[in-house]
Amino acid sequence: MAAGCWRKAPFDRHAFTVPARSAVGLFAATSYSADLADIIFRGFQELGVNVAGRRVFLKPNMVEYEPGTAINTHPAVVAGAIVACRRGGAAEVVVGEGPGHRRDIEYLLSSTGLYDYLREERVRFVDLNHDDVKVVPTKSWYTDLRDIALPVSLLQSDFVITMPKLKTHHWAGMTCSMKNLFGVVPGAVYGWPKNLLHIRGMFESILDLTATIQPHLTIVDAITAMEGDGPIMGKPRPLGFVAMGSDLPAVDATCARVIGLDPAKVPYLPPASRYLGNIDARRIDQRGESPDRFATRFELIPSLEQLRLPDR
Amino acid sequence: MSQALVESRRRDGAWGYYPGRAGRLESTCWALLALARHSGATVDIAPLRGWPAQKGWLIDVPGAPVNVAFNALAAVVLLQHPDGRPLAAPIVSNLVSTQGIALPQSEAIRQDNSLQAWPWIDQTFSWVEPTAWSLLALKTARRQDIGQSSAIDVRILAGERLLADRASRRGGWNYGNSNVYGQELWPYVPTTALALMAMQDRRAEAVVRAALQSLQKDSETERSAFALALAAICLRVYGVAASAIESALVDYLELSRSIGNVVGLAMGLYALSGAHDVDAFRI
Repeated sequence: MAAGCWRKAPFDRHAFTVPARSAVGLFAATSYSADLADIIFRGFQELGVNVAGRRVFLKPNMVEYEPGTAINTHPAVVAGAIVACRRGGAAEVVVGEGPGHRRDIEYLLSSTGLYDYLREERVRFVDLNHDDVKVVPTKSWYTDLRDIALPVSLLQSDFVITMPKLKTHHWAGMTCSMKNLFGVVPGAVYGWPKNLLHIRGMFESILDLTATIQPHLTIVDAITAMEGDGPIMGKPRPLGFVAMGSDLPAVDATCARVIGLDPAKVPYLPPASRYLGNIDARRIDQRGESPDRFATRFELIPSLEQLRLPDR
Repeated sequence: MSQALVESRRRDGAWGYYPGRAGRLESTCWALLALARHSGATVDIAPLRGWPAQKGWLIDVPGAPVNVAFNALAAVVLLQHPDGRPLAAPIVSNLVSTQGIALPQSEAIRQDNSLQAWPWIDQTFSWVEPTAWSLLALKTARRQDIGQSSAIDVRILAGERLLADRASRRGGWNYGNSNVYGQELWPYVPTTALALMAMQDRRAEAVVRAALQSLQKDSETERSAFALALAAICLRVYGVAASAIESALVDYLELSRSIGNVVGLAMGLYALSGAHDVDAFRI
């Protein structure tokens, strides 16, 4: 069933509150050699993000690696977030990911260069595919799954930051803050790819994972994004910004508009706006740069053309 | 390496994926195989003998779905020991009756979605890794006359057909989609090595020959113990020299050791130990 076709809300209305307004920050970063720690820390300040005393879990997007591609969150953005969190007084910073295609985490850490950054920053990495797990109840039920095994390292943290790479996605339309959460589902339990989520419905799974994990913040790597046949075979597309916000649907909707997609047509965003956050631009307060500064028209595969904003 | 593996063992005899973590089926199986091979002893199946089981399956995570692939790996391990055969038999029987779901054909994906080999978990689609492990388990069981041979033959054929269908045109396999929206996807070294081991009795077939070439070429630039160990084990099964890969593996095992990756360490120890003509993965 498509996520928008539910008549009765598959979540407890009393358990979720959509804010009256949501702040989304777009901060210019022309390259990965920019002072990303400074940019992200400024984002914390402008958005009122407080990580002091928190055990922060950073969840970047790593899937597989090929030279010259833009598949993964750039390690410089992860390193910038680590430094910014420490500057903000975080008690602990941990980085973790559970790649959905290549389960070989050592290969990905080495080839992407993330391992060198983590070693330099002395930060622990958790392989979410192979972490200990705990079966927890899901907090919305679009997939009809009533519980799901999740990594304990993620559950034990008290401030989760999803750190996606902004990409088109040939099945989901786009992948950003919410879709990035597929990576927390442990492959050693559910397999590679995370097929349970596809079988139960990609849009439905995006919604249930976001509702269940409820990340506190997203930091989107849109310095170089991916257009065309994403999330793997698309082309790198420089956009030059980092997007941040505590309302994931609001950030994803803003990023969708920047790349020329209509959030109302990205299938998981309208149902998300019923309980997880705002997607209507009139309810989003922009911080940092105006989205118009970065607005463009991404190349799309034919099946995604229907998602375009009317004027693009 | 063997010392690091011994030290990472839990008090209950199992291994987690990382030291201090919960005992898991895959890491325990690889550690048992590696230590046995390193010491020249028979595989110690005691941890698997006491493993929680339900309806013939070994339970990796209580409350989570049964992991088909790692049950097949456990069957391969159990079949290395004469006393393991009765314990392996129910897993073999379950593997024979388990199949992935069929899906409608998709124009976006170049593959036959009606093929039903093995899924990671029940009620999902078939993928390369669980199919490779299940083929290895069933082919080992068939050699030892365990299970109903005609039923096993049918399932083996289904698994081999799926692997042939999902092979990359460049040679080799990734997780299990070779072409999406007209784009050839990249094969991976670890899944190519595993699938090749499962197809070792089909080495005259073009898809196998192409994959073997791909594995040899791609292994030259691979950067992990996990991938290099599987490549070395596979090439040894095929009687192909793997000394350069083994040298690189020694270097990358340092990373496995430093981050405490039990599976990487165990695979590496297994790949670098023992006589080349004796192998748990030789069918």
